[in-house]
Amino acid sequence: MCVTALAAFAVTIIFRTSTTANFAQGAISAFGCYVVADLLNKKGVPVYLGVFGGILVGVAIGVFIDLLVFRKGRHVNELGKQIITMGFVSLFFGGIPLIFGTPERIPFEAFYNTVKAKTSPNFVIPAMGGEIVITKHALICLGITVVILAVLFLLLKFSKWGLGVRATASSEFTAELMGIDTHVITAISWALACGLGVLAAVMYAGGGTSISAGFMTTIQVNAFLACILGGFSTFYGPVIGAVLIPLAASCVGFLANFKGFYGISRWQMVIVYVLLLIAILIKPEGLFGKKTVKKV
Amino acid sequence: MSATRAERRLLEKARRLRIEIGMLEAARELQIEKAAAKKAARSAERARAAGRELAEKSFEKLGADEIRRAITEKRLREENERYAALRKEILLSGYLLSDKDNEALADAHTARLERIRENTAAELSELSNPAQGQLPIPTVDEPEETSSAEAIRARFDEQISQARKRLREVERRLESGAASTERTELEEGLVLSVKELKMYFGGVKAVDGLSFDVREGEIFGLIGPNGAGKTTVFNCITQFYKPTGGKLLFRGRENEVLDLTKEKVHDVILHGIVRTFQNVEVVPELTVLENLLIAGHRQYSSGIAASALHLPKLRREEEIIRRKAEKVLQFMGLTAFSGAYAFGLPYGILKKIEIARTLMCSPRLIILDEPAAGLNDAETAELASLIRRIRDEYRCTILLVEHDMGLVMDVCDRICAISFGKLLAFGTPEEIQTDPNVQQAYLGVEEDDDGTA
Amino acid sequence: MDIKQEYLSAAYPESAKKAAGGNVRAVFANPLAQIALVGVVLALVQFLALGGMISSAFAYALGNTLIYAIVAIGFCLLLGYSGLASLGTAGFIGLGSYVAFYLIEGMGAPYYVALFVTLAVSIALGVIVGFISLRIEGIYLAIMTLALAEIIRSLLMVLKATIKININNIVLFGVNVNEKAVYLLITATFIILMALTSNLIRSPVGRAMLAMKDSTSAAQAMGISLMKYRLLAFVISTIYAAMGGLLYMMYVRNMTTATSTLLTLSTSLNILGAVIIGGAKSLWGTTFGTFIIYGLQSMFLSKIRFFVENPAFITMITGLLIIVVVMFFPGGFAQMLSSLRLWLRRKRVERRIRDYVGNES
Repeated sequence: MCVTALAAFAVTIIFRTSTTANFAQGAISAFGCYVVADLLNKKGVPVYLGVFGGILVGVAIGVFIDLLVFRKGRHVNELGKQIITMGFVSLFFGGIPLIFGTPERIPFEAFYNTVKAKTSPNFVIPAMGGEIVITKHALICLGITVVILAVLFLLLKFSKWGLGVRATASSEFTAELMGIDTHVITAISWALACGLGVLAAVMYAGGGTSISAGFMTTIQVNAFLACILGGFSTFYGPVIGAVLIPLAASCVGFLANFKGFYGISRWQMVIVYVLLLIAILIKPEGLFGKKTVKKV
Repeated sequence: MSATRAERRLLEKARRLRIEIGMLEAARELQIEKAAAKKAARSAERARAAGRELAEKSFEKLGADEIRRAITEKRLREENERYAALRKEILLSGYLLSDKDNEALADAHTARLERIRENTAAELSELSNPAQGQLPIPTVDEPEETSSAEAIRARFDEQISQARKRLREVERRLESGAASTERTELEEGLVLSVKELKMYFGGVKAVDGLSFDVREGEIFGLIGPNGAGKTTVFNCITQFYKPTGGKLLFRGRENEVLDLTKEKVHDVILHGIVRTFQNVEVVPELTVLENLLIAGHRQYSSGIAASALHLPKLRREEEIIRRKAEKVLQFMGLTAFSGAYAFGLPYGILKKIEIARTLMCSPRLIILDEPAAGLNDAETAELASLIRRIRDEYRCTILLVEHDMGLVMDVCDRICAISFGKLLAFGTPEEIQTDPNVQQAYLGVEEDDDGTA
Repeated sequence: MDIKQEYLSAAYPESAKKAAGGNVRAVFANPLAQIALVGVVLALVQFLALGGMISSAFAYALGNTLIYAIVAIGFCLLLGYSGLASLGTAGFIGLGSYVAFYLIEGMGAPYYVALFVTLAVSIALGVIVGFISLRIEGIYLAIMTLALAEIIRSLLMVLKATIKININNIVLFGVNVNEKAVYLLITATFIILMALTSNLIRSPVGRAMLAMKDSTSAAQAMGISLMKYRLLAFVISTIYAAMGGLLYMMYVRNMTTATSTLLTLSTSLNILGAVIIGGAKSLWGTTFGTFIIYGLQSMFLSKIRFFVENPAFITMITGLLIIVVVMFFPGGFAQMLSSLRLWLRRKRVERRIRDYVGNES
């Protein structure tokens, strides 16, 4: 849930400043995650430093993509930009095994163990004949996510940078005319998005024991759907969307505890996606989106 | 009450029948024309062969002047053809010709023609033929042919008269229906009536209770300062916006009165209402001719299967509509651009293409949205005469929204001035020019000034 | 020239006749003739492979690529002509595969019935997506179709773990088919669909779609119904995708729904990439793009040892290629080719102008 929220925020910020849906979000995150794993497993770097290093790599990749590709390719249309991010997916999917060795899945135990060592057992809450398990890992992730998102929203609302982002988001051209350096704004957004992506990936991977190049794909798909559900036109919409999707999935899953619904957990995702589809058909601009009037 | 459902079905049927009849008539003319051309080509070929034979035999008797004239003419013609071909190639390749090159090219052409004249005269100065003398015109005996035109006519007329009969039947039913249902009448001679039109966007009243009538065959101007709601009125008439309130009555092709608010946006064109756009909306990936064919889209009756298989029916229709488009291009003076891609053509040409598109659907009401925007004075003057020519040639009504006061005052028969969605003044150009309200709105003399004008 | 002869040709000019060589060229300029020619060549590959002149692995890879090419043509119509982006291709293919599989293997239905039902299901799906496209546009639509594909994928995973078919049970034209026959079936489908699409884009339908892509409001003002053509575009693309799925199921014959990459986002993205790098408005460009994305590796690079040992390089090269092509040639290879042609044409015009003026001064 937290992971999706972070990823959704990352997708939104790039979408708003560069009018691009970044398909490479997942691949970049995975790449950063590999860096973290490499640092932890082979170099024996402490966990916090390792994660920080991974995020730095993510930031560097973000800035690199913005500088090298998007600034040069401004005449490329919206769709073209999305295809370019798609090209990066292939680039990273090919690059990861080349750099980090051929095995598809590499262990993420170092991180897992360190985190596990410091955590107390999971919380188990009995509820309505079933039980809800909250792992310590999830709580840590929740804490980090809430803090980061809170800081980011405060920044967006009150800092000069935030104002710049919002201005660029509403119209890049006008923002430029008003003396805002949109280049810096988009570069920072890319850096931020990719950094957040890596953090999200590390948090996600921390829950399991191994990672692969494509392990973020599902998260990314959910993040996109969250963005659409919440509406791209606000920054908080996608985050709420990201909370709603897994919540709905859990609710459907929870139904399996009741008689007559045993089979439902298999259909969990199908039901959630169908609900989502209906929600968006009813409100195409997203739950929190604003309606725009088409001009002819 | 305007048209009922049953009535609308009948109207739709009538419309289809009219298109069918139009198609059949066009096909008949086309076939006759083709047959005639074939026949003419055959007899011309026979005459040519006979003439050539005769000339070959008695060349010595031919006058030197005649020989000089024919040969010079042929060489000049060839040169002109070469020049035209080069010009066409330059146009189609999108090669940007500088003014200097353009002049050099024209000069070179004149010089070439001159040199051909000189050279030919010098070359042919020593002819041994007598100075004067014409060859007798050969007699060509035309073989008796059964008139194919008559046969074609008969074949098509049969189908046409049947379609007409069906149309008359539909019309009769429409008339009897009209008597039984009571409905709002549109005053005789009016083509469009806007009554108490209201269009609100949230709290913004873009158009607020506007009423005006447009007479059949007039050029009607709609003017107003920026943000007065002119384009909104357009969009309401063409159903891009569904009005918040008010009535839009229109006299259709069958003389029936339509409530436009009940029409779908893409069906408005069927009744002969077409519009242009402020920012030119020509498809850049298609040629100029194909852009015109898009506007003829609803005249095709062949469906998707016919399109996918290129059935003969589609090819026939395509040929007819293509010819129609060629005629429109000729009328607009755009024939040279016919095969050129719209991408990269000058703005003035694109504007003309937009107007040309409106002529493809036998228009009854053409709505021009700021046609003079971005044109220079000469082009605007040309536009004014073009608008009049269109009205006269196609016998339609023109509704014009324009900023260029010169153009509006020049071409419009009557003008409606609006401001903030409300009627300001209504009348002839002279009346509008002297109206104090209009002057105030345009010159911005305001008493309770809050800077919103 | 002799004065007499010149006078004769001046006074009695012969009507313009086409040069003899022009006829052959005119035939090859006909799009349908080009398609037929390619079809013959494709069929020939299989016969050469039977004769041992071409490796059968090559022929197999070619057939596999053609399946994706069929899907890509439909997508080309959707993206390049109607301007609608979809990321649901994988789902549409998967549904086609599954429906056909269920009918043939599960219910023992004959091939024609399976084909018919698959078509019907894909039309229904296309209509649904088409209606969605009337409410949502642009990238929103793309992501919604992605959701739809995910729904289909989850459905298939629940319904059936493996899709495995015994093609020897399929009877076509009275013969039990084998892999070679399926190859020919793929080729035939490709050629027929190519010809139909080529006709369609050169008809009022194609023009209406282009107009709609360019400006929905102008298209509506010209009497083009958005609903009709959006539905049509999606129906065509889902039909083509489902045909691809059906052929894939018969050709590859074994697919595990949970692990198969066919059903994931990457297939949709690859098809999108193929159409973009080939040129979204050109059928041949699209086909070429498919060969770059799918065929290059399996048909040619698999012969080179370096790439066999490092398959990751191929993925990287594809990615790089996509980035470079889109950055510098947004219209893909087709645009590259046409701008080259235009450049040559302008050079020629320039030369001709120089000649024309030069001889005079």
